[in-house]
Amino acid sequence: MKYILHFIAVMSVAIIFTSCVGDDIVVDRVAEDLRITNAIDTIGFGSVYKFETRYLDNVGERQEVEVEWMSSDPSVISITDSGLAEGVESGSVIITAAYQGVDDYLQDQIEVVVGDNTTEVDIEEIIKEGTIVTTSSYQLEGDFIVKEIEGNLVVEVASNYKASTSLPGLFVYLSNNPNSIGGAFEVSAVSTFNGEHTYTIPDVGIDDYKYLLYFCKPFNIKVGDGSY
Amino acid sequence: MKNTYIYTIALLFISFATYAGGPWPQSKGVGYFKLSEWWTSFDQHFTDEGLLDPNSTTGIYNTAFYGEYGITNRFTVIANANVFSRNLVNNQVSGTNGNVIVAGESYNGLGDIDLGFKYGLTSIGSKFPIAITATFGLPTGATNKGELGNLATGDGEFNQMLQVDAGTGFKLGSLNAYASVYAGVNNRTNGFSEEARFGGEIGVGLLDSKLWLASKFNVVESFKNGETAESNTSTSIFANNTEYSSIALEANYYVTNRVGVSANVAGAFRGEIIAAAPSFSFGIFYDMSK
Repeated sequence: MKYILHFIAVMSVAIIFTSCVGDDIVVDRVAEDLRITNAIDTIGFGSVYKFETRYLDNVGERQEVEVEWMSSDPSVISITDSGLAEGVESGSVIITAAYQGVDDYLQDQIEVVVGDNTTEVDIEEIIKEGTIVTTSSYQLEGDFIVKEIEGNLVVEVASNYKASTSLPGLFVYLSNNPNSIGGAFEVSAVSTFNGEHTYTIPDVGIDDYKYLLYFCKPFNIKVGDGSY
Repeated sequence: MKNTYIYTIALLFISFATYAGGPWPQSKGVGYFKLSEWWTSFDQHFTDEGLLDPNSTTGIYNTAFYGEYGITNRFTVIANANVFSRNLVNNQVSGTNGNVIVAGESYNGLGDIDLGFKYGLTSIGSKFPIAITATFGLPTGATNKGELGNLATGDGEFNQMLQVDAGTGFKLGSLNAYASVYAGVNNRTNGFSEEARFGGEIGVGLLDSKLWLASKFNVVESFKNGETAESNTSTSIFANNTEYSSIALEANYYVTNRVGVSANVAGAFRGEIIAAAPSFSFGIFYDMSK
């Protein structure tokens, strides 16, 4: 009996010290990104327009920050600190949004013309393309396009798509970090492993995310991705 | 098989494969009993292509009771019960800002229990004994535990395995030694693929047979006739068709005439959808045959 008690005592101590939940470090640093999200081609003479931006930090998560607004010629288009622009006289200027990020000084620029009427870019005319590639040893490949229709993001995966059926818990995410699901949008569990199919994602804009990310939930491993 | 993770379960089977070998039933009224701790922790696995991929660090810790008892000189009952099983997954932490991306979890509970019945086909004292063993894997462990449902202490399926063992004892110089081989078929339910299992073991007794060293070789080949992520239309998160080839080294030392301690290290050197890390076991046993 004493051997059993000694054994239980020794093993209990060993297990207590070795079986705790620890930390796995994920290498998830990405380049910060600042983007003007509601670009226009033309601003009407005497009209005002409020520009907006999206800042992604160094892990690809969206943060609200105060950016600096600049007009290359304020006599043509003036712009306030809050991004409110006004067409003053005919001409063309470069509108710049800038922000000092953690790692870099970030800028995004668009060209805007002063004309008769304000003309927004038709977001539904934008089609982005991408290719899904495996980043693991599991098969995952295929082309896709992304477009925005009536406020919904539509991801059309092409007929050359193939994914391994061996991996459990494969999920699709929209992310701004190709290495992490932190801050990502979970689209759905993968149920199609071969051929074309479509995901329609409500209330997601075409510029909200940059990557299609395939992630195995139970193992917490990235399987593949596609930038668009 | 829906909502079942056999990833961890495959590890439990490696544990299973390290015992119950040999064509030698216990004598009538004689038993062998063992209390052991088995564990593994792994951060990479063999993929379906047999290649190595990383995964979140996962740990499995089983406290097991194993017993053999001779009902007759040819018929032995066997039990292997994971009386306490702990499964854990590490936190996923951002290396950039230190934030927890996916919280780790753990689950403790009863594991699966295997019941086996071994029958000696050859006469007592045969130079080349042969035995058959029927093992029933009872799904007493838990599945789909934790926030993500990826923690388990069992596979959630009732399996039946029929195994034939053959072997012999011999002298290696002045040392006692033995060798045995086995082959079996594991019929699994709940959508899991059936499996062929085979392997061998060789052991030698040192220090007047107070210390026994053994090397074991186990192979599991899946029939790949079960469900896959494609054929299971639920949002299930599971894998199937696990395969591996593993080796194990084991030492058993008799502290007294009947009581001893054992240590075992095992690991798969080839596999599909299975952990790529060694498992370890320490135990204390009581051998009535001595």
